[in-house]
Amino acid sequence: MLSIRGLDVHFPMPNGQVVRAVDGVSLSLKPGETVGLVGESGSGKTTVGKTVLRLVEATSGEIRIGDVDVRKASLKGLKTLRRKAQIIFQDPHSSLNPRMTIHRAVAEGLILNTSLRGAALHDKVSTILESMGLPAQFHHRYPHELSGGQKQRVCIARALVLDPDLLVLDEPTSALDVSVQAQILGVLKDLRITRPALTQLFISHNLAVIRFLCDRVAVMYLGKIVEEGPVEQVFEDPRHPYTRALLSAVPVPSAVKRPDRIRLTGDIPSPTDIPKGCAFHTRCPIAKKGTCDTIAPVPVALGPDRQARCHFADHTKGVGQE
Amino acid sequence: MMDSTPILDIRDFSLVFDTFDGAYHAIDKVDLSLAAGEAVALVGETGCGKSVLTRAAFGLVPSPPARITSGSVRLDGRELLGLSDRELRGVRGKDVAMIFQDPMTYLNPVFRIGTQLTDAIRAQSGGKVKRAEARDIALGMLEKVHLPNPERQFKAYPHELSGGMRQRILIAMALAAKPKLLIADEPTTALDVTIQAQILDLMAELVEDMGLTMIMISHDLGVVAQVCSRVAVMYAGKIVEDAPIGQIFDAPAHPYTKGLLDALPHPFKRVERLASIPGTLPDLLNPPKGCRFAQRCASAHAACDAPVGLRRVAPQHTVACTLFEDTPMKDPVHEH
Repeated sequence: MLSIRGLDVHFPMPNGQVVRAVDGVSLSLKPGETVGLVGESGSGKTTVGKTVLRLVEATSGEIRIGDVDVRKASLKGLKTLRRKAQIIFQDPHSSLNPRMTIHRAVAEGLILNTSLRGAALHDKVSTILESMGLPAQFHHRYPHELSGGQKQRVCIARALVLDPDLLVLDEPTSALDVSVQAQILGVLKDLRITRPALTQLFISHNLAVIRFLCDRVAVMYLGKIVEEGPVEQVFEDPRHPYTRALLSAVPVPSAVKRPDRIRLTGDIPSPTDIPKGCAFHTRCPIAKKGTCDTIAPVPVALGPDRQARCHFADHTKGVGQE
Repeated sequence: MMDSTPILDIRDFSLVFDTFDGAYHAIDKVDLSLAAGEAVALVGETGCGKSVLTRAAFGLVPSPPARITSGSVRLDGRELLGLSDRELRGVRGKDVAMIFQDPMTYLNPVFRIGTQLTDAIRAQSGGKVKRAEARDIALGMLEKVHLPNPERQFKAYPHELSGGMRQRILIAMALAAKPKLLIADEPTTALDVTIQAQILDLMAELVEDMGLTMIMISHDLGVVAQVCSRVAVMYAGKIVEDAPIGQIFDAPAHPYTKGLLDALPHPFKRVERLASIPGTLPDLLNPPKGCRFAQRCASAHAACDAPVGLRRVAPQHTVACTLFEDTPMKDPVHEH
């Protein structure tokens, strides 16, 4: 459904440096699959999401949604494309026009893209808002009259009303309280059942949320995918030392001390000055001098749909496990 | 830790905000008490009053609109309510220090780190400490918070440092005067998970090694689990449960605490459904007379319409819920 091949997104800076936000990313999503893209700030995960919809122009590489080549699409082609591919952002408040009722906000996409008008349009919008748990008394309210969770439901309804094939979700629950996050995660999980053909790219820094929603996960560090695989396998047997460190840093609601503690020292290097060799070697607990600081690792296949970009991916099984 | 005087003792604390629509009952009859060396988490969702409580207790919420309607706040035996602004300024920074979510906001962008640290240390001492001495104290503190190359960072400006380093500097600044109490308000919320883990390790180390007494405010039960030994859960301006950390996770009593725990996705467990709490916060302009959680609670019954105070269900475990009987026990919270 979505296929990304060798994607580079580089931003030149006024001082001549180049921010390598995304560096050689390849990822493909089968129809109906939900894939999580996880990483810390500056890892490039959001840039990947935006480039997929051509909200950011790629430097090189190929992106295909269905049979459309996104980077070569004409303006007219892009209009059709954006009907088939929708995005939901972190902050629902800034994604909604404060001067439009939510009913109107959801209708807008239909008015622009379909010939639906009048009662049929009204009914279609009302139905989708209700299916998102927003009963009729809310439909003619303005965004400021709704809570954060309700606004995010509106954004989801607006994305779904055009029956997209691909949905990109960029941290859709990060601005919400835990109990509201649970409601939105429930809505998104229901989509897996009610819209089995919908393909989702779910971008988040929250590993617990990814585990809850996704089939597969790709872990990004400094613009590269360092590990990829089915969610259960990656979470239970992480092979890249960065994935292991990330998992061991997740705060777990339990008073029992974690036996698998790995602590990274230092901060993420600047994406203008990515370390040579393996980008992670400056913080890696198992980095080897002479190997990791000079040779860039290539992805090592570890099974069907499973790979890690580490010189030692084969040897690290079981290290630091719970 | 046999000293029976708690470091912080908040009793029967209530606060309203006067608005054009009437009094907004933000905090209602809260009791919270910390023994020396104790790290207590104050956990709740947006709008529950956790930040207002800890700020208002030390005179940091402007009045009007805020009005403290009842209660007392004792810091190491000294009553703080009723102190003048000048007296309170002497308490803050010296006896009570605070760190916040976004460290950048609390550093001045146009001054070097070293200048800001030494100025703060001299101000905390009331000007008694000389500049050179303040510099030594500052460098010592930077080492305690494990900031790499303290001498070099001393000359840096805040924008040259990462978020994790800035938070370490604010922790150093806060602890330089050896305060009796540290209030950490969502200290890791703005940080990435691997950096968050580093800062949480540091805070746990400071509690253990320096005997720091701390209130850590958070919306995330996972974050406080590594640092705190006790949790107070707040909902709509009230503390609804107060218990040792193990009991909060293994035997949560209040339906709201249970709801919060069940709403959290778990990174290492396969979960098919998350329980969510239906409904929204009650209108605090017109708060319910009884339990403030009752209208969202699946176990609510007739008795919930009457006011409910904290009931003791285990030696150090209290809960404000009618489902539990009060079991009187001797010497409650401060026994260690």
